[in-house]
Amino acid sequence: MNSLFPRALLATLLVSTAASAWAQAPAAPATRGPNYIAIGMFLIFVVISLGITFWAARRTRSASDFLAAGGRISGFQNGLAITGDWCSSAALMGIAALIYSTGFDGLIYSVVPFGAWPLMMFLMADRLRNLGKYTIADIVSVRFARIPVRTLISLSSLVFVVGYLIAQMVGAGTLISNLFGIDYTVAQIIIGILIVLYVAFGGMIATTYVQLVKAVLLVSGASFICFAALFHFDWSIDALYSSAVANHPSGIKVMQPGGLLADPVSAFSCGVMLLLGGSAMPHVLMRFFTVPDARQARLSVFYAAGFIGYFYLLTFVIGYAAIGLVMKDPAFLDANGVIRGGPNMAAIHLSEAVGGSFFLGFISAVAFATIVAVVAGLTIAGASAISHDLYANVFRHGRATDEEVVKVSRISAITLGALGVGLGIAFKEQNIAYMITIPFTVSSSVFFPILFLSMYWRGLTTRGAVTGGAVALALGIALLVLGPTIWGEILGHGEGIFPYKYPALFTVLVSFTIMIGVSKLDNSPRAQRERAEFDDQFVRSQTGVGAEAPASH
Amino acid sequence: MQKIYQVIKADPRFHELERKRSRFGWWLAAIVFGNCLWYMAATAFFPESGFAHLWGEPVAEGAATTWGIVIGFVQTVGFILLVGLYIYRANHEFDPLKDAIVEDARRAAGE
Repeated sequence: MNSLFPRALLATLLVSTAASAWAQAPAAPATRGPNYIAIGMFLIFVVISLGITFWAARRTRSASDFLAAGGRISGFQNGLAITGDWCSSAALMGIAALIYSTGFDGLIYSVVPFGAWPLMMFLMADRLRNLGKYTIADIVSVRFARIPVRTLISLSSLVFVVGYLIAQMVGAGTLISNLFGIDYTVAQIIIGILIVLYVAFGGMIATTYVQLVKAVLLVSGASFICFAALFHFDWSIDALYSSAVANHPSGIKVMQPGGLLADPVSAFSCGVMLLLGGSAMPHVLMRFFTVPDARQARLSVFYAAGFIGYFYLLTFVIGYAAIGLVMKDPAFLDANGVIRGGPNMAAIHLSEAVGGSFFLGFISAVAFATIVAVVAGLTIAGASAISHDLYANVFRHGRATDEEVVKVSRISAITLGALGVGLGIAFKEQNIAYMITIPFTVSSSVFFPILFLSMYWRGLTTRGAVTGGAVALALGIALLVLGPTIWGEILGHGEGIFPYKYPALFTVLVSFTIMIGVSKLDNSPRAQRERAEFDDQFVRSQTGVGAEAPASH
Repeated sequence: MQKIYQVIKADPRFHELERKRSRFGWWLAAIVFGNCLWYMAATAFFPESGFAHLWGEPVAEGAATTWGIVIGFVQTVGFILLVGLYIYRANHEFDPLKDAIVEDARRAAGE
């Protein structure tokens, strides 16, 4: 099918990043000099978010405040904050771009990853809150040897965070320079400074409220685009779809599945990656520790699922509306009749088509705010992996003071911010489409199996968990490097040694098999003790007795 | 803490709670998982396979909307409703039972 775009866009993977497609489809800049409306609105967001940070910084005293907002966020607020973490600007623009290019199959990135939400609710939410403290490594440390599991999970978390961060930063830089008419490097530095301010000073409290504001802006912006487009078609959704069929070169095929993931192994591998990876993302799961108890954790999932599901329903309209209203309008096309700025701009152009230049400015500012907030969420996840897991528990054997943990968290946040800017500049104009499959492969084949087995299977031992997780991490990265994207396209060997773009199906199976096999063979005294401790852990996970209480002040 | 865990483990209501809750959770998870597989299979095998064919059919004569759109829409709404269903039963049935078990156990353990 439409050969270049679908493959490039595929990797944008909705939940994740705006990054890839810009990087792969370099097109003429979409704007004409600085967009003052967009800049003005973004400045308003900056002022509000820095106000929040200032307020939050005064309330951040302990490590619990810094890493888990003192466990005092309500279920509703947390649901919105999770929505903010989950929906990057790619959830709006990436899915719209996929539908714009390939039609129906783009919606697979709405429906399948959304399935992660009910799964999290039914299988994980209560138990996670009852077992965890600041990070997902806490859950596994309840009965396993602290040093090996924490080391594995925190290093995997850092791989996750850095992969995600590069994808976000590069995508952001290109998007921002397109929308705002400012320089790529300047955009990187602005993002870097903002996230360091939010995270290093305001910690989890600031990050949560910034995320919350951004979620409200994103959901209302997308709603406006959707309903303004429907209004344009006299509220007839069939008329909207008809105009898409009339405008798109594929005709009626835009309303039918097929083409995008024609090879069944890739389709299922990609689906497994989205579904399992989406339900074990550390920066999302750590939000379960910011609420007081399991009941509020459940409520957060409920609100998050409501907002995210609603948001995904809007994508059923927005992508097709872009075909109907943008694809044939010369105002949005370049000299060759191709959409200005590439298909990722489809939703942005649509906002101008239905709401004029003022609304275009608003949506551009929302897109910038979205990226900044998502990067901040990733940064605090990375900072907690360094300060709480590696520093306090591995190097200091749990003897670090609260002040030391907060200090290390701040230093980590500043370092990660600087690293993000550096990598963002280093990867400028690189094809980073594959980047986003790294975090998803890691979370589906390392975090998901470990969390799932440790909560549901008595037999898992430290040795099994660490061996399986480490092999899956190494194998996942190796298969990605040897796959068609990096080995074939970037290193120029034509095709990959490993034939599939998404190794998740294989790495998930390998991970589970090794964890179960090694645990079964492990009969050390330590393993026997770990199996015996399962019952107590089980009671705690089910009842919350012995769970971390919220900070008292 | 050890003692209270022992008391809870010995309580038959705890095992009843656990059985009910996990059976309910697994059923719902299976529904969600099945729907996601159905969606993946439809995109992977359309239009050759018979079960995927429906996804490309218009909902009415002359309509542009296909059943695939309707199914995807219903699935998304359905997932939200399933989450709501779970939280309703968790709050109205599982939580009170759990609270009663924990309260009795605390008393029995002398805390």
